Formats: sequence, structure tokens, C-alpha cells
Amino acid sequence: MADRPPRLEGKVAIVTGAGSSGEGVGNGKAASILFAREGAKVLLVDFQEDRARETLDIIQEEGGVASTLQGDMTKIDDCERMAQTAMERYGRVDILDNNVGISQRGTVVEVSEEDWDKVMTVNLKTIMLASKATIPHIIAGGGGAIINIASIAGLRAHSSTPYTTSKAGVIGLTFSMAADHAADNIRVNAIAPGLVYTPMVAPRMNDDLRQFRADAAPLKTEGTGWDVGYAALFLASDEARWVTGICLPVDAGLTSVHPGTFTPMNQQTRY
Amino acid sequence: MRLEGKVALISGGSRGMGAFEAELFLKEGAKVVVGDVREEEGRALVDKIGGDSVFVRLDVTSELDWAAAVNEAVDRYGRLDILVNNAGISARGSIEETTVAEWDQVMDINAKGVFLGTRQAIPEMRKAGGGSIVNISSQLGLVGMSESSPQYQASKGAVRIFTKSAAVQYAAEGIRVNSVHPGPIVTPMTEARRSDAAVQEVMISRIPLGRYGESEDVAYGVLYLASDESSFVTGSELVIDGGWTAQ
Repeated sequence: MADRPPRLEGKVAIVTGAGSSGEGVGNGKAASILFAREGAKVLLVDFQEDRARETLDIIQEEGGVASTLQGDMTKIDDCERMAQTAMERYGRVDILDNNVGISQRGTVVEVSEEDWDKVMTVNLKTIMLASKATIPHIIAGGGGAIINIASIAGLRAHSSTPYTTSKAGVIGLTFSMAADHAADNIRVNAIAPGLVYTPMVAPRMNDDLRQFRADAAPLKTEGTGWDVGYAALFLASDEARWVTGICLPVDAGLTSVHPGTFTPMNQQTRY
Repeated sequence: MRLEGKVALISGGSRGMGAFEAELFLKEGAKVVVGDVREEEGRALVDKIGGDSVFVRLDVTSELDWAAAVNEAVDRYGRLDILVNNAGISARGSIEETTVAEWDQVMDINAKGVFLGTRQAIPEMRKAGGGSIVNISSQLGLVGMSESSPQYQASKGAVRIFTKSAAVQYAAEGIRVNSVHPGPIVTPMTEARRSDAAVQEVMISRIPLGRYGESEDVAYGVLYLASDESSFVTGSELVIDGGWTAQ
């Protein structure tokens, strides 16, 4: 540790999707651990609380302060209970890191209306609801930061039309919330992860596919939840106090190249 | 420390954002070569911040100066890991008012300077096993502003896409290249414009967060991109503009 105060000293963070859907470290888990490591008190929210407890175990082993809460972010009552719980346990809310998300592949022809509604609800509406419930408390504390996990799939075609649409919505929501709440001193930013290997994507991966995804981007390295977590840490901290309304790709350069070069469309079904 | 063991070269490092970056990098464990045409200010800065920092005279339009600056980093500190292409000048005026000489001067410093620095730094970063180049573009490399100038906007747009070109060309060698896009910052470069109260009012009215940025607001973004915390980030644009371009 450098000769400086922790980067989130005195702050309280809510992380939704703070557990990982399998072994390993996803975006929300990494951010939670990094936030706690830098001095924040963290409310770890997950639909499946046992997953958040795994994150809690790691934070407590490191001597950090956190606690878990079961919550379904598709329900406004749960979102409000989440914000109130953070206030009761820690007295304030400075940071909201919206990680909840699911994958959904298919074209508009292939996807069922039910699946479409589900991905739009889980990936987009949850951010609106969690923010709606939390923002008044952030304002009461004098301002803060909201981080929305989008995806490079929200920036271009990705052979996952429902997912792409929901993530493009996250980016639009980020710009709009940033403009709406700048006067409240709330910064709102999005991160667009590239082909990171996280527990969310692990079930449909094999060694060949992991290698293909790593090779797809110019850096040719495999990204992890930690890469997204460090970006979230920067955006959450006062180091980014003049940063709002941006979408930061964390993608090993994938969106810097012509798509045909590194994401051959004839490979699209392999994603 | 976030830059422990790393060696950085910062162009235009004598004052403003570059000077703040030099000090911040030093605090985070880097050894820093400060390059600038402003020799007096540059020497005063390294005297002030101390530690492993050194000043070199660097005119970013001179390839010889760049070669000397990179050599200084390697001779003195053994390697080069980070280059911040921070040097730049501002300009105002319409296209019709702008002379070819004015166009060339801004393009030479703001755009060609980045090319020359990158070209000199890459071989040493390759030897170091990788590196990070951070190019200071501008919000005006992304959106138009009638009060700016064609050469300033074009030069900053050039930096934006040059960054992506360099990122994809050298990614396989572990060299990351990203651009930073500051909005209006309180620096010596923007002093003349800020001294006009009417202009300042208009500018602030366009910034959702309601104030000019400070050098440190940009420096911390540069630190993130310079450090290994952003090891999966290349070709990205980090906009630090108080929300200007989000609207």
C-alpha cells in the first residue's frame, strides 16, 4: 500500500450482483473485494445470498467490512429495502455498482417474447430500480457515484441481439442519468467489458473457446472480473470526481479495430 | 504502490496537467523523466518534487529531442514503461481566419509530436516487455465547439484515432495505448480564455458537474491507464469532462 489513504476511505458502497454464479471471480465480486480493500463498507446484494456470502468470506479474511443481503433487483420493494439496509447498517450510501446481468443469445426471430422481456428486465430495469431507490440516499449524503456494467455488446453486433439491446440501453441510461443527476453531485458512468472470462460465461466455455475469445482482441490476453473491478474502483473513487456520463471499454482493444478483423462473423455462433 | 518499479516519460511535464502527473507518478513509485521546452519551469519542478525525477529539454516536434529524452530514461533509470504524450498548445479562430502556418504549428506539436514520441518509445517498451502510452487528446477531439479552432480540433481528433492505430499495431507486444479526453481544465494553457468572465460562464453552463476540471482530475485518469490496473484496457477513450459530451 502506498503512503496514502485508502481510495474509498469512509465511503459506503452497494454492489448488486455481488456474488458469482459459479467458481471464480465475476465483475461484482471483484469490485466488492477491491472496494473493501480500499476502505469502503460494502453491502453485498445478490438474488442468491449464499453467493454473496462467498464474497463476504473473502472480504472478512482480508479484514474488510461488508455484509450480505438477499435481494431481487427486479422488484422495487427489494431495491428500497436494499437502500434502507445500507442506511441502517452503515449510515450513508456513496456508491452503487450495478452488476446484475444475464446472457441471452439469438436473433429477433429466434428469441421468445418471454426471454426478451426477461433480459431487458434483468439487465436494464434492475439498474433503473436500484438507482431509483438509492439516489435519494446518495443525495442526502452530498453526492456519490453510480457504476453500471454495460458491455461492448452494447456498442456493436455481438450475435446476442437481446443482450446487445439491453446493454445498449444501459449505456443510454448511463448518459441520461449522468445529465439528470450531475446537479446532485452524482456521477454516473458505464463500463463496457469485452470478452472477459467470468463465472457468468464459464458454463458455455471450453478451452478452445476461451483461447478463441482471448485471441479475438488485439492484446490477446484473457480478461477477468478483476479488470472490470479495477475500472469500477477508479470510477467509484474521488479520483474520478470530474468523470461522468462516460462508457469505458475494458476490452483489450476489441472495439478499436474493424470488427471483421478480430470477430469474424462466421465464428459468431461460437460466442 | 501503483507504479512501483516503472519508468515514465511525460512530455509537456513542466506545468499544468503534466506537472501534476509527474508528482503523482512519483508518489506511486515511478521514476519520472519530465520533458518540456520550458526549461526553467521544468528544472524547478524536478527540484520541488525530488526523488527519482529528472528534467530533459524536449521539443516534441524534434525527433532528436525525443531520442534524447528516451535515452535519458533508459540511461538513468534502465528502462521505459510509460509515455504520457501530454504536450500541446491551444488555438482559436475560424477556418477562414486560420493561416497555413497556424495550422501547421498546432498539427506539428499536438499531432506529429505524439507520433514522434510513440515512434521513439516503442522500441524501448518492447525491450521492457510491454508498456503503456497515454495520449492526451481532448473533448474537442470528439465534438465540435465553435469557439475552438480547426487546427486544434483536427489535431486532437488525430490523436484520438492515432491512439487506436498504435493500440492495435502494438497490442500483441503488450504495449497498451489509450487516449484521455479532458474537458476545460484550469491550467496555464486555458488561462487566457478563463480570464474572460463571459466566456467562463458559457463554458461552465455546458458542464453538467458545474465547474472546470483541475489538473488532478485528469492526472488520476492518466495514472489508472498507466498502471497495471488497466492491463486489459487498450484503444479506449477515457473522457474526463464533467459530463460535457454525455449530453
